[in-house]
Amino acid sequence: MFACLYAPDFAVQAALLTEPPDLREGLRRSPMVVLEGPENLPRVAALNDAARKCGMEAGMTKLQVETCGGVLLRKRSEAEEDAAQAELVECATFFSPRVESTGAGTVLLDLDGTERLFGTPENTARKISVAARERGFDLRVAVASNPDTALYAARGFPGITVILAGQEARRLAWLNVELLPIGTEMLDTLHCWGIRTFQALAALPEVPLTERLGQAGLYLQKLARGAVHRTLVPIAVVQQFVESYEFDDPVETLESLSFVLNRLLQQICSRLMAQALSTNELRLTMDLAVTQRRVSNSGEQFQHDWKLPVPTQDGRMLFALVWLELERNIFSAPIKKVTLEALAVKPRTAQGNLFAPPSPDAEKLEMTLARIRGVVGGADAEGVSCVGSPGVVDTHKTASFEVRPFSSVREGLSKDGLGKDAAEKDRANLVPALLPTIALRVFRPPLETAVELNGQTPHIVCLWKKPGRVIAASGPWCSSGHWWNRAVTWVREEWDVALKTPAGIGFYRIYLDRVQKQWFVEGMFD
Amino acid sequence: MDASQLRSEIEKKLPSAFTAYTRTFRGSIPTGIAAIDSVVEGVPLHALTEICGSSLASSGKTSVLAALLAQATRERFCALVDASDSFDPESGYAAGINFSRVLWVRCGKSQAKLRPLEQAFKVTDILLQSGGFGVIAVDLSGMGERIVRKVPLSTWFRFSRVIEKQPAALVFLEQEPHATSCAGLVLRVQSEPTALSGKLFTGFDLKVEVVRHSAAKKPVRSARSGFTLKTQWA
Repeated sequence: MFACLYAPDFAVQAALLTEPPDLREGLRRSPMVVLEGPENLPRVAALNDAARKCGMEAGMTKLQVETCGGVLLRKRSEAEEDAAQAELVECATFFSPRVESTGAGTVLLDLDGTERLFGTPENTARKISVAARERGFDLRVAVASNPDTALYAARGFPGITVILAGQEARRLAWLNVELLPIGTEMLDTLHCWGIRTFQALAALPEVPLTERLGQAGLYLQKLARGAVHRTLVPIAVVQQFVESYEFDDPVETLESLSFVLNRLLQQICSRLMAQALSTNELRLTMDLAVTQRRVSNSGEQFQHDWKLPVPTQDGRMLFALVWLELERNIFSAPIKKVTLEALAVKPRTAQGNLFAPPSPDAEKLEMTLARIRGVVGGADAEGVSCVGSPGVVDTHKTASFEVRPFSSVREGLSKDGLGKDAAEKDRANLVPALLPTIALRVFRPPLETAVELNGQTPHIVCLWKKPGRVIAASGPWCSSGHWWNRAVTWVREEWDVALKTPAGIGFYRIYLDRVQKQWFVEGMFD
Repeated sequence: MDASQLRSEIEKKLPSAFTAYTRTFRGSIPTGIAAIDSVVEGVPLHALTEICGSSLASSGKTSVLAALLAQATRERFCALVDASDSFDPESGYAAGINFSRVLWVRCGKSQAKLRPLEQAFKVTDILLQSGGFGVIAVDLSGMGERIVRKVPLSTWFRFSRVIEKQPAALVFLEQEPHATSCAGLVLRVQSEPTALSGKLFTGFDLKVEVVRHSAAKKPVRSARSGFTLKTQWA
């Protein structure tokens, strides 16, 4: 058996899906039209039953529609329709792995072998209808012994239709021939012959029909009799989790964006959950409505990626992450389109190591880090991150460091062979010190200072504009690097000095930058 | 109605109304410096600790913190909130800190609206709410003493109450103690006059004074201990 899911007035239903779930039912009963065409003369592309009752029809101009009053106008969006079609297909995949996306708002599925799961064809059709309604669709569902009979039954009859094998021609009898995939010329010919229903077409003698209309006519007759048995063309399931929304008018405030973002994320998460998947990488792309085109296109799009340490399906957590990032940014233009893309991965199947040290909750850690970044900023003026794990750099230049992404699951991953490089790097950084050593407190940036020399040795060093007498000095320790690149070359002469200060003796590291010919205080041993 | 009846009536509705509030200190993290660990058994968990020392003279407070982080990161994840961005990863590496278990937050480096001190306190709040860190160290010693002194006592009190419920140590590095009775342990570190000899700077002698230790049965007045810190190249 085959089932067909058909969403009448699909463009209207696709537009309705973007509305809040609690408002959909009310809007479904209100007259609503979808417009397309040029901005100055948009015409009705699709409308619902309520709009038809008000006298509207496809092809009317916006002005004509507005004269009817109380009608909801929506702009046709291919992205919305694609998303709705994907949603419809996904709904069908819950009932069968063999699903054909036949056309906009039409999906066929093979129900063979599903009887023990869903029961009789009537029960299956009812369950499909309920599942589709939960997703916001108002569907017609038909079940028949071949795909085409199910397709025309769904398009021709409201509600749920079940056609048993052998009853196809009788049940399809009173459907209009216009439902068939028929050209205008052939339709005119049939109308001239007085053929207006499936039954009339099915009753024509085959040979004369073929002589007059060719093989196409014979095929149409078989369709009208419900006697075409074709093979379903199942779609390949693409693991792509992309949701987008295009605003009718560009949005200027983040508050207006929050609802749309939340809904898109919830949709992605529900799709991930439906396929028992999670995501560890999320990408947000926002198209900005830039009125004055610039030389570069950099200002026309905002993009941000999130890489999570552990896969998640938590829509609320992802929304909080996105929201924290958006609050940190100021956009140069209103937002006209939002696209969210999630990379699907298998969820975590095992719990954390019982013998691992207590650590921050891996799933909440990214949000904590995002909140901290919201307070201290993402990176400093040199582009070094303000939040992360410290790391030493393999260089002779002193005070060099790096900041790596912080993660509480890195060690656990290394046991599985994943993230091996990071774990090895960490082990290299871990040097068990036998005795506590003196730490240096670094001044970033180094303090410019003036130094009086006694021969070659520093004698007086100014600290915050106050001269300090050098009690002892150790040096000079000369080093240089990057001599092959004049822009970043460095030559320095280091001294460790003990200065007499009002609070006691302070041990400082000073150096003479031979490129700038300037003394600096690098830090204090503390 | 006499006092005992009144008391029993109140206790029926509020069972702990007349119970004296006592702080409990369960466990500690050794600092790795024998001179300190022998006196206070390390930095207490569930409590706020202050390590104080001068910002002009070398006092050894940063070295004590590095030694503590080196010990703590063997078993726990730690956070270092660096209000003045003065942590030197090379020194931490030499001290033996496991960097993969340290979250380093550098305050005051971007065009953020808040001042570095406010950023540090806000980040500390976030980390306390997040949980999971064994040591949360907040380095305020690079901040001006006059600015830190303005931090209201209620802030310290709030921190001490929040950390009580977590198996973590909250350590502040400052020039002077500010948390008063909210602190479970207050250490003051300062360098001893050292006779400098030779051309190479190899280390200095330090003394640590336990100003306050709530876990001790008797109030500590002036438990002092001396130790020597060596440079990486000594």
